[in-house]
Amino acid sequence: MGNHAVSWGARLARVEVISAYPITPQTQVVEELSEMCADGRLGARFIKVESEHSAMAACIGASAVGARAFTATSSQGLALMHEMLHWAANGRHPVVMANINRALGPGWNIWTDQSDSLSQRDTGWVQLYCETNQEVLDSTIIAFKLAETLDLPVMVVLDAFYLSHTAEPVDIPEQEVVDDFLPPRQARYQLDVREPRSFGALVKPDAYMEMRWQLQEAMLRAPAVLEEIEADWAQGCGRRYGVVETYRAEDAELLLVTSGTVTSTARFVVDQLREGGEAVGLVKVKMFRPFPSAAMRDAVAGAARVAVLDRNLSPGRGGIFAEELRAALYAGNGFPRPEVYGYVVGLGGRDVTPEVIEDIVRRTWQAQGPEREDLWVGLNL
Amino acid sequence: MSDAPSRVTPVAVSSTSTLVSKTGCWKYIRPIYQDGVAPCNEACPVGIDIEGYLNLLREDRIDEACDLLVRENPMPAITGRVCPHPCETPCNRRPFDEAVAVHAIERMLGDRVLETPVKRPARTSCASVAVVGSGPAGLACAYHAARLGYAVTVFEAAQEAGGMLRAGIPEYRLPRAVLDQQIAWLRAYGITIECGVRVGTDVPWWSVLGAFDAVFLGFGAQQSKALAIPGEKLAGVESGLDFLRKVNAGARPSLGQRVVVVGGGNTAIDCARTALRLGAEATVLYRRTRAEMPAIPDEVDEAEREGVRFVFLAAPIRLLSSDGRVQAIECQRMQLGEPDASGRRAPAPVEGARFTVPADTVLSAIGESVDLESLPGEIERVPAGLLTGEYGETTRAAVFAGGDMAQQPRTVADALGAGKRAAIGIDQYLRLITGRPLEGPGTAALRYGRRGNLSMTRWRGDDPIRRASPVNQVVRYEDLNISHFVHAPRAGDGRLDIGESRQGFGEVNRGLSSDAALDEARRCLNCGVCNRCDLCLVFCPDAAISRDDGGYAVAMEYCKGCGVCAEECPRGAIVMTREGL
Repeated sequence: MGNHAVSWGARLARVEVISAYPITPQTQVVEELSEMCADGRLGARFIKVESEHSAMAACIGASAVGARAFTATSSQGLALMHEMLHWAANGRHPVVMANINRALGPGWNIWTDQSDSLSQRDTGWVQLYCETNQEVLDSTIIAFKLAETLDLPVMVVLDAFYLSHTAEPVDIPEQEVVDDFLPPRQARYQLDVREPRSFGALVKPDAYMEMRWQLQEAMLRAPAVLEEIEADWAQGCGRRYGVVETYRAEDAELLLVTSGTVTSTARFVVDQLREGGEAVGLVKVKMFRPFPSAAMRDAVAGAARVAVLDRNLSPGRGGIFAEELRAALYAGNGFPRPEVYGYVVGLGGRDVTPEVIEDIVRRTWQAQGPEREDLWVGLNL
Repeated sequence: MSDAPSRVTPVAVSSTSTLVSKTGCWKYIRPIYQDGVAPCNEACPVGIDIEGYLNLLREDRIDEACDLLVRENPMPAITGRVCPHPCETPCNRRPFDEAVAVHAIERMLGDRVLETPVKRPARTSCASVAVVGSGPAGLACAYHAARLGYAVTVFEAAQEAGGMLRAGIPEYRLPRAVLDQQIAWLRAYGITIECGVRVGTDVPWWSVLGAFDAVFLGFGAQQSKALAIPGEKLAGVESGLDFLRKVNAGARPSLGQRVVVVGGGNTAIDCARTALRLGAEATVLYRRTRAEMPAIPDEVDEAEREGVRFVFLAAPIRLLSSDGRVQAIECQRMQLGEPDASGRRAPAPVEGARFTVPADTVLSAIGESVDLESLPGEIERVPAGLLTGEYGETTRAAVFAGGDMAQQPRTVADALGAGKRAAIGIDQYLRLITGRPLEGPGTAALRYGRRGNLSMTRWRGDDPIRRASPVNQVVRYEDLNISHFVHAPRAGDGRLDIGESRQGFGEVNRGLSSDAALDEARRCLNCGVCNRCDLCLVFCPDAAISRDDGGYAVAMEYCKGCGVCAEECPRGAIVMTREGL
């Protein structure tokens, strides 16, 4: 299952400290890791804590002394970490975390929904969304390299149940392959009792802005760095995913934009519609933060209409991927600007079936421009 | 890491250590290490620093523990055996799991004291002290006075020293060998004991009062109270105390099959258990119920286990005879009414309810009174004996008194406590008249807590224990942080089994082995007293606490007054005080 793919990824990355608090649907991630620690398969220190806030705090502390630190959470747990997420990013601690997308309550709901991770988009964490369990495992390992290259924390994001609890074959790379790809961490700044210094203390207006600028610069380098790292990874095991992936998009007049497991369903629908002669293609967004504006502008440049499927909601605004795409298209002059239709689908784990996606495509063909910024699909009112 | 062309580091890291940040200026409250008083110390009638010696034992400093103990108690081998250990009642370990078995630890140390060579104190004063009576009160006064540098002579009417320890306490509770060793130890300490000298008969009072600079009266309460019912003069009716005195001296009188003991105190229980050992069936008649018995509860339980029968709510009204010898005792059935002056519910007769209990021997043990007939009249009396003050001073200058002959509970521990108080009083008095007055700290400061006995260590000002700004306040269970303690069962004393104990006068309570006693000492929570557990140091978020001279130092320029140390201290030995006060 996807959760175990996370655990195996963390183990292959030879994490040194794991601190986590259990929450559905993340629990098996740390269950498996704790067993690995207990039976000696993984030589990491497993720190039990009383809350997710503490879990992240412990990871930050471990990272500060130069250790490779990992945690996993979901939904309310991620929300509780919020303060520490800023701390990890502003302190430039390369912590890696898996977040299993789950809806936020109330109403209490354990099923998939991206609103939990997307609520944390401004904390300074790189966010990588996964489509398959293989991508989950690979991304977990890649995340450490990306994090430690840029001194940025990285969140690997996967859908509750569709990935977390669903079994599918996963190729597990040899340890030597991973070791070659990901050497032990070399921290640039670390706590050292022989040379005591304060980390994360007061920074006055004369320097704070420069620090934020450096954080932003590191963030903006992330898409290119991820491409380089994935190329490296592909040499070892032949797989790469890309910051943004286009699928049968070359001559498409209508592009679907997806992330997570909805992508697989959309691939199936695109194949069917292509067979019927419709010029429909797909853009899969893997990296959401930093938002890969340039790659997205390129990906949608040839289409007339873009239908963004958002399994998330920014109340009062709409789907967040659609919003980000619109912003990217207006970030400068002269970009081709297709019509952007922002569909809100599958919240709280509601199935997004091929029929739903076909319906979206049909509505998009028929529309005379978007009726509103948020187009809701399948509401039973 | 990005190669940003900036003078500013990407992470907020200081160029120096945080020592430049004097977080101490934030505080408005600060911690103070403040050693309080453990409840056992306050409850001990002798006034022993129990917590102190248990703490030394925790560190395996056994000789120092013995030293601390004998600074206050000259006969721990005896109290470890016979004291009803009131120290264990308020033990804060009790609400946590079970009280520390202090008595068993004291006994182990006491036996050890008797086996180590005696260090005789130097005589530092020309004044001399006479002690009348060699029971626990007299011997305690003699011991402490000798330790304070005075020449001490003890006068004892009996042929052997020990007073009630010898006459009243049966051998199965206090073996003669232990008592003899203890007396020898005290003699070796420099105390002269003149046996077979009854002051007032063999030597006149005026000569003792004239020849010594101070006199302590501690000859106890030796007269059994009469039953005051018809038939008291019959053969087979005897004072329980006389009976014990005889048996304890080695006699084995024949009692017949059925022995009835009248009374509910320790003398009654001792009589019954002694009678059992002489082969009789023993019955205790008491006019109230078990709850009101003044006897030590453990002794009552032990007696019951051995087969002593108890008849409660029974008041003897007449002894019945056959051929001039007692045959039965007629009793009035009683019931409990309203509480009397002692706070216990007073027994009242149940109209028309009478019954007889057959008896071959009747022992009366309804209390003892003090015989003051020969004593000079100007020393003021009270119903219980002599009128005494806080230091045992009587109404006559240079004459002090304590123990059973003063108004106080009649236990060995209370007698030892009275002897010590009187020694302090005598020291004050003699220093005054010999021109070396000592401004003592006063009784409130000498006392453990508010109700405890006086501390000789505090009087002498030679406490070997480092104490951080001590306060005389008893630490309650609520003051402790019990989350740091681990449950552990109390060590039970070894005991002769019932079959064996009834056969003879072998010591019933076998105590604890040295190792078991040391383990038991580690159960002590050291209430209110810092025992260098390091938790404050571990928890201090500013790392402002360091070990220092056997205690701790707080770097006040970094302590920001968060109070975590005081909150975490397991024993309530750290308090937060407001700045500037």
